[in-house]
Amino acid sequence: MVMASMSSGSESFRLCVFDLRRGQNEGQELDKILFFYPPDLTFSTQLSVIGLSEGLITFTRLFSPEAACEVIEAERHSHVFYEAESDIWMVMVVEKNKEIEAIWRVDALRRMLKEVHSLFVMFHGSIRALLEKEQTGGLIRSHLYPFITDYLNDLFVGKKLQLPSFRETLKERGTVQMLTLARDAALEVQSLVGVLDSCVGIVRCHSVILFHDLLVSTTLSPDDTVDLFTFSVMRLTTNAQSSGMSSWSYLRKGSTLSQITSRSTSAQLLGSTDPLPSGNGNNAARVIRPLQHEKWSKGKVGFLVTDIWGKDATPTIWLQQTQERVYLLTYQYKSLTLVLLVPTPAIVNGELDISFVKHQVIENASAKILKVEEKLSKGWGGENAYHVSGYRYLLVDNDMEISRASPPGKVATLAKESLLALNQLREEVDSEKSRTKVERDMEISIRAKNNAWVIARITRGKELYMALEKASETLLDATDSVQRFSNRYCSGSFSMD
Amino acid sequence: MTSDSSSSPSSSDTEFADPNPSTDPGTNSERVQSQLESMNLSEPSEVSDGSHTDYGGGDDDDDAPAEVALSNANEGGFTNGRVVREDLAETSGEEGREASLRAEHPVEMEAGEEPPSPTSSGYDGERGSSGGATSTYKADDASEDEIREANGDGDTASQHEAAWLPGKRHVHEDDASISWRKRKKHFFILSNSGKPIYSRYGDEHKLAGFSATLQAIISFVENGGDRVNLVKAGKHQVVFLVKGPIYLVCISCTDETYDYLRGQLDLLYGQMILILTKSIDRCFEKNAKFDMSPLLGGTDAVFSSLVHSFSWNPATFLHAYTCLPIQYALRQAAGTILQEVCASGVLFSLLMCRHKVISLAGAQKASLHPDDLLLLSNFVMSSESFRTSESFSPICLPRYNPQAFLHAYVHFFDDDTYVMLLTTRSEAFYHLKDCRIRIEAVLLKSNILSMVQRSIAEGGMRVEDLPIDRRLRQKASSTNNQGQDTGGPDRLRDISVGTGGPFGLWHFIYRSIYLDQYISSEFSLPVTSHRQQKSLYRAYQKLYASMHDKGLGPHKTQYRRDENYTLLCWVTPDFELYAAFDPLADKAMAIKMCNQVCQRVKDLENEVFLQGASPFSW
Repeated sequence: MVMASMSSGSESFRLCVFDLRRGQNEGQELDKILFFYPPDLTFSTQLSVIGLSEGLITFTRLFSPEAACEVIEAERHSHVFYEAESDIWMVMVVEKNKEIEAIWRVDALRRMLKEVHSLFVMFHGSIRALLEKEQTGGLIRSHLYPFITDYLNDLFVGKKLQLPSFRETLKERGTVQMLTLARDAALEVQSLVGVLDSCVGIVRCHSVILFHDLLVSTTLSPDDTVDLFTFSVMRLTTNAQSSGMSSWSYLRKGSTLSQITSRSTSAQLLGSTDPLPSGNGNNAARVIRPLQHEKWSKGKVGFLVTDIWGKDATPTIWLQQTQERVYLLTYQYKSLTLVLLVPTPAIVNGELDISFVKHQVIENASAKILKVEEKLSKGWGGENAYHVSGYRYLLVDNDMEISRASPPGKVATLAKESLLALNQLREEVDSEKSRTKVERDMEISIRAKNNAWVIARITRGKELYMALEKASETLLDATDSVQRFSNRYCSGSFSMD
Repeated sequence: MTSDSSSSPSSSDTEFADPNPSTDPGTNSERVQSQLESMNLSEPSEVSDGSHTDYGGGDDDDDAPAEVALSNANEGGFTNGRVVREDLAETSGEEGREASLRAEHPVEMEAGEEPPSPTSSGYDGERGSSGGATSTYKADDASEDEIREANGDGDTASQHEAAWLPGKRHVHEDDASISWRKRKKHFFILSNSGKPIYSRYGDEHKLAGFSATLQAIISFVENGGDRVNLVKAGKHQVVFLVKGPIYLVCISCTDETYDYLRGQLDLLYGQMILILTKSIDRCFEKNAKFDMSPLLGGTDAVFSSLVHSFSWNPATFLHAYTCLPIQYALRQAAGTILQEVCASGVLFSLLMCRHKVISLAGAQKASLHPDDLLLLSNFVMSSESFRTSESFSPICLPRYNPQAFLHAYVHFFDDDTYVMLLTTRSEAFYHLKDCRIRIEAVLLKSNILSMVQRSIAEGGMRVEDLPIDRRLRQKASSTNNQGQDTGGPDRLRDISVGTGGPFGLWHFIYRSIYLDQYISSEFSLPVTSHRQQKSLYRAYQKLYASMHDKGLGPHKTQYRRDENYTLLCWVTPDFELYAAFDPLADKAMAIKMCNQVCQRVKDLENEVFLQGASPFSW
């Protein structure tokens, strides 16, 4: 897959996290910085990026108190802002370069920031909470550095960092991709979920089930589902396990990551060349790196094991909706991945109880898991299962945080002009959406210079984007095509006529 | 958590102490600068000694005593007393003299030209006194001029329409006023040393601190080897344009596209150049702190009228001009005499009706850019002094030659119709006067002036008058889109009632690419109020920007529908059509109507367009 790539270390990519409440006194400005990538930049450069960001946040609040700076578009760079938590900002600076196809949607970049922050919170809790726990900032820095660096490693192909460019315009980060189930399979899944629910007795367990890289079922809230789905596809599913295999999910880019992994471990984590201000390096405590690569493997009884959380330790994550910490158990059978979330209060005797839960799952659910896997495999249409001939599309349901799109291999057949036109159209729709906030109905069909139709339809929280490359089609033909698609695949949601 | 700012020796300490910048109305603009400046360190060690990097004029504020900031903060406002005083002092100083010299001898800034003819009204200060006569278009900038509702969209706040008045309003405001911050659209012109030159709202002198902040943002990014174009925050866009030593900034929450806002800054700059020429750059080369605002004294009406036109005049985004519809023979007659005048050594001769062209001619190889025409007519229409007597004034056409002054002879035949004769020769007043007399004779003889008045009264093309193809009529009754139950001869009239033209057509703009002209239909029901018209123009602007994306080149067709309109755009090598329909209009019928409109315009092109004018190539 071709994506905008940029070499690391140079001016082309910067990512920082800073806290506006810190370093308010002259001479203490460095205190604001919680994370900066690349870490080897001089402090003055880091401070100038953060100074500009902070200055513009303050400036824009003069006129727009309710929404501060979101993006700075300069001749050579885009600065993308995201206020992850109150007064905690993430800013990404990317270099524009048409030659290497560095053309993107700002919203797609902002969704990366949102994604890395959500994942961080899922594993470590909020940044503010960690700051309050340890006021010098050493704790949060020692967590953010490995976490974001590991996240960015996923975007490296060789030495190049690849950001979501216009070629990924028919994808939506921060959404879940679902597997469509036949009725009988759905009943089997339902029954399996029931068993998983009650495998610890009276305390209810949440579960998330994936088949390949698609979601089969979840009992979590949409937000928690997105985070866990994202992590699963990054690290847990069979596709994620078999490294080196070509991925068709945007969550995994290249497969070569050894170079950066080793660099990040040696330079940033062990503190030998600690780039943090002195007094802040708190390297005594072991920092858990949930996004570390190649750390998961299949254990004897079908559960995935890892030593990221320590030898024989079971990972825990934080659920946003219920505000509770849960144990994360992952069972894998063929292409089926079951993520079971056991509330911590249910586990009194640590690993002993965990083993018991695992035993219960195998005992009670094995048969059902086999059956579900069989049903799903039988109905599985492969990578191109959701290809609709003649269409290149993206369907987003914002309420459910779900999306479905043409397979990347098929999208890649579109002409560059069509993708650019669609990317521009999406940018326009993004700005309309951010302006009005309220949901509105909208229909835009554009015939681009190369005669392709690029189409956007927004209705009741649902979005449909499409590129049609049949040159002979008129506006009415294109409308009919959308209508047919809507009727067949979207229960007529986008039928506006 | 407010620190003891009163005892703090440095203003930046005071500001950094406040953890909640958004609630502090007083010190924000200073804060921004401090943040920018204190962060721009070459080495970490500099943090401790608190040294600041020099930004030219922008750092004037740094030394401001903390008490100043504090006392102003107490009033809920920030003005830097010292900067204001300096500005006042300089006005009476050297630059002030420069300005007054220029007022007396407007040609001082051009190279090697003689003083103008004795009758020239030049820059005699009358310019600022323009009155209501220019506001013939009933209008309101209400939604922009008004303060936005605290928690809502100002567009729904007011339905009343007030007559638009030229000139600056809300002069008492500055950046500390909540009302000022809530204005929907600000325009600023400042020098690269941070001196305010123009602000749409508020007193420029009081905005010195704010101006310095804008300058600091621009130079901070520039120092990093880049150039800031746009900052987005919620509904707000801050658009920057750097033109040599002149910085232009727009802060807007009006839902216009970045491209168009930048285009507006470009026109604002052009308007300034039209008054002063680009040779002002040299003044900044000589003296970086040159204060240019006195040079523009009294021109508020020109700028406010231009800003107003951004919301009613399609020429501002189409970069084309429009003609007053008039019989072909009459336009020809006018064109002939204008051409003759040009042959006698006049560079451009234009016969105008308000902002519309009746006819124009240029000397050999001389071509006039539509933007120059827009700025020129805005300048003349918004300056009352041109109406009172014949005038001879130095002007510069920024697209034609931004470096040099031309001399414009302007004469109004009546309230609406005027002639403009442009020449390079400053001593040509009497010659141009003779030309005008010749032109006037022709106009009187061929009765053009009264025909012009008739054309104004009749208006331009109306969507209601579009002839409807019989086949469409049949199709309409079969599709039954408008909910009519019976066909018959009255049906078409029924369709039109209350919905503008046939099949829900409300309005259109047709732009001829070769002629660089456009024709726009009169507004019909239901687009009647100025607010609705402005909203439609904004929709067109977005459509235009979407079709003309810089990277991709023009798209071919666009269909766009939301709760307000159905819009159709069609771009061909010959023309562009922008049409607005009822949001419920039938797509197939809308497409057919667009074809009808194009046909109709072609049928009438001799009356609505100026044909055979010297080809405009640039």
